[in-house]
Amino acid sequence: MADNLPSEFDVVVIGTGLPESIIAAACSRSGQRVLHVDSRSYYGGNWASFSFSGLLSWLKEHQENSDIVNECPPWQEKILENEEAIALSRKDKTIQHVEVFCYARYEKYLFTINYVHDFLFTCLQKKPAVRIYMALVATSLLDMLKIDLVTKLLYSRGLLIDLLIKSNVSRYAEFKNITRILAFREGRVEQVPCSRADVFNSKQLTMVEKRMLMKFLTFCMEYEEHPDEYKAYEEITFYEYLKTQKLTPNLQYFVLHSIAMTSETASSTIDGLRATKNFLHCLGRYGNTPFLFPLYGQGELPQCFCRMCAVFGGIYCLRHLVQCLVVDKESGKCKAVIDQFGQRIISKHFLVEDSYFSENTCSHVQYRQISRAVLITDRSVLKTDSDQQISILTVPAEEPGAFAVRVIELCSSTMTCMKGTYLVHLTCTSSKTAREDLEPVVQKLFTPYTEKEIENEEVEKPRLLWALYFNMRDSSDVSRNSYNDLPSNVYVCSGPDCALGNDNAVKQAEALFQQICPNEDFCPPPPNPEDIILDGDSLQPEASESSAIPEANSETPRESANLRNPEEPSE
Amino acid sequence: MMAIRELKVCLLGDTGVGKSSIVCRFVQDHFDHNISPTIGASFMTKTVPCGNELHKFLIWDTAGQERFHSLAPMYYRGSAAAVIVYDITKQDSFHTLKKWVKELKEHGPENIVMAIAGNKCDLSDIREVPLKDAKEYAEAIGAVVVETSAKNAINIEELFQGISRQIPPLDPHENGNNGTIKLKPTSQAGRRCC
Repeated sequence: MADNLPSEFDVVVIGTGLPESIIAAACSRSGQRVLHVDSRSYYGGNWASFSFSGLLSWLKEHQENSDIVNECPPWQEKILENEEAIALSRKDKTIQHVEVFCYARYEKYLFTINYVHDFLFTCLQKKPAVRIYMALVATSLLDMLKIDLVTKLLYSRGLLIDLLIKSNVSRYAEFKNITRILAFREGRVEQVPCSRADVFNSKQLTMVEKRMLMKFLTFCMEYEEHPDEYKAYEEITFYEYLKTQKLTPNLQYFVLHSIAMTSETASSTIDGLRATKNFLHCLGRYGNTPFLFPLYGQGELPQCFCRMCAVFGGIYCLRHLVQCLVVDKESGKCKAVIDQFGQRIISKHFLVEDSYFSENTCSHVQYRQISRAVLITDRSVLKTDSDQQISILTVPAEEPGAFAVRVIELCSSTMTCMKGTYLVHLTCTSSKTAREDLEPVVQKLFTPYTEKEIENEEVEKPRLLWALYFNMRDSSDVSRNSYNDLPSNVYVCSGPDCALGNDNAVKQAEALFQQICPNEDFCPPPPNPEDIILDGDSLQPEASESSAIPEANSETPRESANLRNPEEPSE
Repeated sequence: MMAIRELKVCLLGDTGVGKSSIVCRFVQDHFDHNISPTIGASFMTKTVPCGNELHKFLIWDTAGQERFHSLAPMYYRGSAAAVIVYDITKQDSFHTLKKWVKELKEHGPENIVMAIAGNKCDLSDIREVPLKDAKEYAEAIGAVVVETSAKNAINIEELFQGISRQIPPLDPHENGNNGTIKLKPTSQAGRRCC
C-alpha cells in the first residue's frame, strides 16, 4: 500500500457503476491509460449488490447523516493562479427515505447475531426514520444474500448481452434464465403463457384463446411488414388498439402488462407493438422467457467490466476520494484532479458519475426518483412443483398518476438468497416515498410473518420476514447542459435508471466512449495472450473443437482471426 | 477417455511476490526476468492428470487489482482453489498473507482449497520468513504449503499437485451446472424455439 498512484493518465473515471465500468474497459482496451477510482469501499456505486453485513454498513452510511470528513489536506492551496477548481461532493446524496422492517423471530432462520442487534438498536435510538419491529438475523445465513440496489434483467438479445459476448467479458459471469412471467389479476397471481409451448400447454386458456393469442403474437413478430393492419390505430394507445383486436380481456391484459410491459396510458400502438416484438424476439435464445439474471446479482456486471479494464492495464483504487477537478482558466479545460492525499493527477479526459458532483454543480438539475423495496419471504408468490423459479411480475398502477410496480422474485439458485427463502425486489418510478409507493403492492402479495403459527390452515400468501424500502435518485434523463460550468473534457455518467433492461447504460457508455476515443472500436474481442505465446499449443487437446470461429469474432481484423477465444474454458 | 474437470484457481498475494511468474512457469515452463506487472494476460489454463480425472486448471490472475487493495469480489466466485503467494525474502508479504486469507474467507466460496506458496526460495540466503512460520500458519488454517521458485522451477508442479489432491472427488449428484448459463457467441443458434 506504500505504492503511490502514478500522476498521469489519459482517462480518469470516477465511480464504478455500470456505464463508468464499461467506458473504463473500452478505453483501456483501446490503449488509453485509465485510472478508475471510487470513494466507496465496494464496486458498483448504486449498481452494487450487498451481502447482509455489506448492506448494514450501507444502511449506516445512509442513515447517519454525519459527514464522514476524513482528514484531507486542503486542496485550495494547490490551485495555481491560472486555475479554477470544481469541488466534488464528499457525500452520496442519492439515497433517501431508508426504512427497514423485521417481522418477528423465526426459529428456522436463526436471526440472532449480536452486532446486528446492537447496530439496529443504535439506529432505532438515533434515527426515528428507521423503524424496526424486531431485529433478527444470522450472518452465516444472511451473508449468502446478495441484495441488489437496482434489479435489472438482461434481455437475451439486448445491448448488454451483445456487448458481453463481443468483448468476451461474458467469461467472467454466469447467468440464470428467468423461468416465469407472471401477472397479477383480480387478486390472483397467474403465469403468463408467452412461448409457443407455454401457450399450447396452458390450462388457463381455452382453445379459442390459444389460437387468438398465437395469431396475434405471430403478427407482432412481423408487424412492420403489415402496416395496413395497424396504420389506422397509430394515433391511439396500445391499450385501445388491443381492444380492437380479436383478443379476450384476459389476453389483452397479458399482452399489455406482461409481454409489452406497459400500461393503459403509457404506450402508443407502435410502441406497444415494438415492445411486444422485442419480447418475442428475445424468447428462445437461452430459454423460454426473454430474460437472464446474473448469478450473485446485478452488482457482478460492473466488476466484470472493471476486470477487463484492469487486464489491459487500468489502475483500480477503491476508497479513494477525489476532492476536486482542476480547470485551466485559459483553455477552459479540465487538466487534473486532486485526490484525498492532495496528490495532483493529470489526465486528458475525466468521466464523473452524477452522484460525485456537488450541489453547486447540480443546482439546476431536476432528478427523478426510483422507489425500491427488497423483501425476504418464505415462499414463492406462485407455488409450483419446483421451488427454483425466477419470476417477473408486473403489477399495474391502481390510481392515475401512480406507476406500475415491477416485482422480481429470486430463488436460491441465483446465489442471492438462502435455500428456503426468496428475495423479492420491487421497483417503480417514484411518486411518493418508496414505502408509500410500494407498500400497497407488498400488502397485496404478502402477509407479515407473525409468531403465531396458524395451524391446519392453508396460508395463501407468502410470509414476509424482512423488508427494506428506499428511494434512489434517477439521473438517467438529465441533459449534460443542466450541470453548471462543466469543461468540455468532463463527461457525466448517470446512475441507474428505472427501466428493466440495461440498454441505457450501454448506449451511454458507447456514446461517451466515441467522444473520448473517436473512430475506435468499442470493446472489440481481446486477443488470447496464451495463443500469442504458445503457437501450436499441444496442451490443448480440445483445440479442434474450439477452432470454430465464433460469430461475434467474424468482423475482427484478419490477424486475430486465427486466435482462439482466450477464456472459453468449456469449449 | 478421462473426464475433464475444470477447476478455477485464483491467485492472491502482494504485488511483486511472483504470482504471475509461478503461473507462467507452471503453464509455459518459462521464466522472464523482466515480466511487467500483469497486463493483458489474466487467465491461463493447464490440464494435468489426477487419478481417474483430468484437472483443467483455469488460473485467474489479479490483473493488478490487488495493488491498491481493490480486488473485486467476483474474482473469487466459484473458485475451487486459491494460491496465496508471499515472498520468503520479505516479511511484510507474509504478514499481508493473513489479510488475503481473511478476505478469501469473506468473499470466497466456503470449501475453497487454500495453497500457500513461499516464492523466491532460490534466494534463501536473504530469507526473512522461516519455513517453520509458514508451516505453522498453514496448518492452523488447513492450507497446503510449499516453498517455490518460479525462477528455478522448484516445487511449482508440486504446488498444483498438492491442490489436485485436496480437491474433493466429483459428487455425481452435482454433475452438470443445473441450468447455469455461460454466454457464448455460438449459443446464437438457440436450442429451443418459441
